[in-house]
Amino acid sequence: MILGYLRNKVVEVEPQADGGLLVLWRLTDSLLDMEVQMRVQPPDLEIREAAARVKRCSTRECLSAQELVQKVVGVRVGSGLRKIVQGLLGGAEGCARLTEAVLECSNAVILHFTLPQLQAGEKLNQEERLASTRAMLKVNPRLVRSCIVFADDSPIMQGLDL
Amino acid sequence: MITLNRSQLVGAEFIDEGTVRFHGVQTDHIYDMEIRMDVRIPDGEIVAIEGWMKRFTNPLCPKAIEVLQKAVGMSLREENWESRVMREVGRGGCQHFAEILIECGRCLDQARMSRDLFETIKTDPGTDEGQFIHQWLEQHPEAKGACFTR
Repeated sequence: MILGYLRNKVVEVEPQADGGLLVLWRLTDSLLDMEVQMRVQPPDLEIREAAARVKRCSTRECLSAQELVQKVVGVRVGSGLRKIVQGLLGGAEGCARLTEAVLECSNAVILHFTLPQLQAGEKLNQEERLASTRAMLKVNPRLVRSCIVFADDSPIMQGLDL
Repeated sequence: MITLNRSQLVGAEFIDEGTVRFHGVQTDHIYDMEIRMDVRIPDGEIVAIEGWMKRFTNPLCPKAIEVLQKAVGMSLREENWESRVMREVGRGGCQHFAEILIECGRCLDQARMSRDLFETIKTDPGTDEGQFIHQWLEQHPEAKGACFTR
């Protein structure tokens, strides 16, 4: 069947020579073509720069929303981010798309740092991987009960008091 | 060099006058998930869902496929539906399934609007898109409250 609608969304993380991370986000669908670019600086993951460009949009309200993204400059990618960004970019005068873009860019930064740890785990045998996962949970207790793998009845959680 | 790339692709097909079927794919360097979800248009209720977990990090991850069924009966019109999906499908199962499910859900009104605009332009190529969108939103109050680009 012919599709009635198609949305394509992509987010990319590109490390820079100065140690910063450039994050590019783009959404295209039948009505909208929008980009957000953020520069995030480790180790505190502060958002140093943020820009948005609406390349295709059918109303003026949306075009003015791109100025909003500047509000997240100075915010750090970390706990409480969702509420902070929703407070800055959400609401009746805000832009849901921009809010999602900033949160998805931030999530991509986290995944960027998660990736090498997971790659290292691929070289381990089953027992070593289990021990490594449990050690990781102790360091990152926010992951406990974050999905079925880390649910209370998961074999990984057995014996852990988290 | 790009070290992390995540792509989400959402397609919508109108399988009958009252039902839209979403195909959602989310792939990145770590995970690869796909869902197919049927939504009843008048009330936004998810009436069927299937999921495929094609790349994941832990052998326990595929247990989350059955948890996807918790989405059946949820309405994309209810308040805080995204939080509910993240809580029940995400934290109870797999957050990446929840992410692509939410992205599909966000496309409900855009898909309807795009389809109607497409049909209108076919007969009237000079249609003003901005004006069409404002009129469409007036005629579809269920889509109001959310930014028209959502």
